[in-house]
Amino acid sequence: MRKRLGIISFFVVIFMAFIVVWNYSYQQGREEAYIPVIDTPSGNYIPSERGAFLRFENPNMDYVNMPVDENHQRSLEDYYDNRAYLGAPPSIPHPVAKERSYGGNTCIQCHQNGGFVEKFNAYAPVTPHPEMVNCRQCHVTKNTNTTFTEFDFDKMQPPKVGVGANNAMPGSPPMIPHQLQFRESCISCHAGPSAPKEIRVTHPERINCRQCHLPQENRAIPKMDASTFLRQFDQLNEK
Amino acid sequence: MLSAMTAAASMFPGIVFASEQEKNIPEDANLDWKKGPCRFCGVGCGILVGTENGKAVAVKGDPQSSVNKGLLCVKGYHQIMCIQSKDRLTHALVKRNGRYVKTPLSEALDIVADKMKSTIDTHGKDAVAMYTSGQSTIPEGYVASKFMKGAIGTNNLDCNARLCMASAVAGFLTTFGADEPMGCYEDIDHADYFVTWGNNMAEMHPVLFSRMLEQKATRGAKIIDFATRTTRSSTASDKSILFEPQTDLAVANAICYEIIKNNWVNTSFVEKHCNFSKGITNMGYGLEDNYTFADKPEPIDFEAYKEFLKDYSPEKVSKYSKVSVKDIKYLAAIYGDPNKKVVSYWCMGMNQHTRGTWINNLVYNIHLLTGKISQPGNGPFSLTGQPSACGTAREVGTFTHKLPKGVVTNEKSRRLAAKIWKVPYERIPPKPTYHATEMFRAVDRGDIKFIWTQATNPLVSLPKTSRYRPGMQKDSCFVVVSDVFPTPTSDVADVILPAAWHIEKSGLYGNSERRTQHWDKMVEAPGEATEDAWMFIEVARRMGYGDLFPYSKENHVEEIYNEYRQFHEGPKHGMAPLEVLKKESGVIWPYVNGKSTQWRFNSTYDPACSNGEDFHFYGKPDGKAVIWQRPFEEAPEKPDQEYPFWLNTGRVVEHWHTGSMTRRIPVLHQAMPHAYVEFHPEDAKSYGIRNGDQVKVSSKRGSCVLPASINERGLPTKGQVFVPFFDENMLINDVTLDAFCPISKEPDYKKCAVKVEKV
Repeated sequence: MRKRLGIISFFVVIFMAFIVVWNYSYQQGREEAYIPVIDTPSGNYIPSERGAFLRFENPNMDYVNMPVDENHQRSLEDYYDNRAYLGAPPSIPHPVAKERSYGGNTCIQCHQNGGFVEKFNAYAPVTPHPEMVNCRQCHVTKNTNTTFTEFDFDKMQPPKVGVGANNAMPGSPPMIPHQLQFRESCISCHAGPSAPKEIRVTHPERINCRQCHLPQENRAIPKMDASTFLRQFDQLNEK
Repeated sequence: MLSAMTAAASMFPGIVFASEQEKNIPEDANLDWKKGPCRFCGVGCGILVGTENGKAVAVKGDPQSSVNKGLLCVKGYHQIMCIQSKDRLTHALVKRNGRYVKTPLSEALDIVADKMKSTIDTHGKDAVAMYTSGQSTIPEGYVASKFMKGAIGTNNLDCNARLCMASAVAGFLTTFGADEPMGCYEDIDHADYFVTWGNNMAEMHPVLFSRMLEQKATRGAKIIDFATRTTRSSTASDKSILFEPQTDLAVANAICYEIIKNNWVNTSFVEKHCNFSKGITNMGYGLEDNYTFADKPEPIDFEAYKEFLKDYSPEKVSKYSKVSVKDIKYLAAIYGDPNKKVVSYWCMGMNQHTRGTWINNLVYNIHLLTGKISQPGNGPFSLTGQPSACGTAREVGTFTHKLPKGVVTNEKSRRLAAKIWKVPYERIPPKPTYHATEMFRAVDRGDIKFIWTQATNPLVSLPKTSRYRPGMQKDSCFVVVSDVFPTPTSDVADVILPAAWHIEKSGLYGNSERRTQHWDKMVEAPGEATEDAWMFIEVARRMGYGDLFPYSKENHVEEIYNEYRQFHEGPKHGMAPLEVLKKESGVIWPYVNGKSTQWRFNSTYDPACSNGEDFHFYGKPDGKAVIWQRPFEEAPEKPDQEYPFWLNTGRVVEHWHTGSMTRRIPVLHQAMPHAYVEFHPEDAKSYGIRNGDQVKVSSKRGSCVLPASINERGLPTKGQVFVPFFDENMLINDVTLDAFCPISKEPDYKKCAVKVEKV
């Protein structure tokens, strides 16, 4: 009898402990639910600002600690060679795996975050717009070096780069000499091992690039006659 | 060439340039670098200006400055370029027969002094007025106050900080009894959450925003953007929550409702350190001339406050704020979590508000209820827009009701000022006169016959310039404008005085985190351009007040600062001596026993705390902060059938305030050549407006034609348009409403009703 009572009270104790633990963990669970899951922002995104900060949120991209591999750097010459004109979408300089693929997962595998590709002995350039997955809508392979008929297309001179080329004063931040459409994510081309060596940024840890670097001419803002910035003051002034 | 490389390398320590990047280093970079604060916003970054052969040629961030740690924004990097502008005011100009005639400065100052004196003789002291600036240096503000209040004996002195910081001041005084933030920028390094209230920091306070982004990247801190418009800051934040204009009042109350409902109140903190109070409601909006208002605080208890909050359940507020119940609860949960540190940031979104004092009070309520205040990483932080809105306008007190210490209505404050100024105590009038908006109304009415503006451009920055421009053009008022460049305000001047710019004079500024910063003159001003302080002194001497201004031309900054420091002696506001300020990249007051006080009211950091508790809100006689019962009230003008859009105004990263400086910097002008009007794409579609179309924005007061901008820099909510106000050729302030917060008298530039037409 005593033994049975002992067993019963043992289970009662266990049960009470269970109640206590359960209650405690329930309360803890409530604490957990305290900060709701962050869902997508209720605001809309602005095209010209889209992507400017996105790449910095990628935990795989530690730009600050990326080593420079001098033997496999791209140069600006390579960069422009691959484009028909300034701002044109680059062509695909390597054979593609599936001719029927629209791109998507295939291209993105290497071009979202970059990395060294043994096969081509080079670092894959990083796309500034990984959310656009129909890659081959704009990017086509180069299957021949000849042209259909004789051809002469005046390529515009690429903007000068380097210290002093695009800045107003010694040491002041250079302005952006190119268009930003689809290239809002500065860091994609200006940092990491695949960045052309002439335009690799010295401070990739800075995130808000356009705090200091502005488009040289802001074409996102509707253009107006610049002569409107003339003061009446001059007419009032005694000659 | 070598020195150029060294200079370039010193700009990016630890970075070695690839040879391809080095080839274009300019050869003339053998520079002499001098420290100072940036000329533009209230963040107060430390800058180093490189001079060569007496000319300023380069700017870099001061690595010694704890504000910006070597980083600047695009405006800061290019600031010195504006002084080379060809239309620089280099000589005094006096209007004669409708033409500006170049006049020797001493002669122009004679005219100003004569005119001021004769106006006082004929019409009395209160017929002359001075309107200064949050860009005036501390000595300039001090001399202006001493001149107007101590020498002449009128309170007709106000400044443009009334248009940007008055609600913050009124908020601090009503809640804490002491002006300016309790925390400092170092809060950024400790906080888990940054909640920005109607504030696009990525463009307006970019250096602080970069510090926040760094914490987001390294520590996982989160940025919550609570605003009426999607901006670059929204893009960079973890969550963007949009609300209907004016309903921030209701959402703040709903957050407090949730905090109390869920037992997230820090009861011991509230019991020890807080009182509850209510004031007058339905205050009006100051739209009529000579409007006056005085709040009557009435103590209430916690139960009454809880009862009041019942109208602000998230479900009720959600209906008119357009913020989802979930988002309101989410905001409350951030503030309510005892294990998370939260900093709230705001600037003009909350201050330029017809209930600006209230919304400041309400955000303090949230921090007081949860006890998240005055600790590293926890606290409300009111940002400023001008480099010395704190240092000069608020601390020296260039407002009609203020003295360097205390207010004119307080006899003790008047006696202290009279003693230090060595003037008869009776000379300082005990009644405030005109705040900014009312001052320009008085000019329009003809009550003010003489006005002198300095370092500000009211005919671009005032609300409803459609009334105040014709007002200032009237012959009844003699207008003196001191400035560096011609502006729409100098266009209506009778005398234009050429002012020395920032680095062409020595001075002191005070930034948002109570940091006082000194700089020495770096280059000579062109022509006869002179320090504003010195022009005041010259006029005062000509008017017979020479004995009150015994300063020397070479050393007046130091002499004035040493005199001014006497006002703030003691542990609550002690200012650092000039020797210290000359050496260091800014020092935070209260400066006690050789140390900055980073967190006020917290006894661990603040030696002025004397009640033996962890916290002491010593600004109030009983040492307790006030939790205010402030309701939601509608805006004075809301969109209706005839005027169906809200108009919101603000800034862009490229330009600072009215653009008189930044538009003269080629890099900035080329990047942002003119203003525009932003639409929500659906509104644009229904009006058939496309990007770049000329659009006329009109209110009952005036109109303005601008090109449309859709889906570009910013995205207003549906039913709202946004216009930046920097463009003097597209004066959006002809359209805005001059309603203001009855307590702070700060106008609301963020809300009025407009219609739009394609032209």
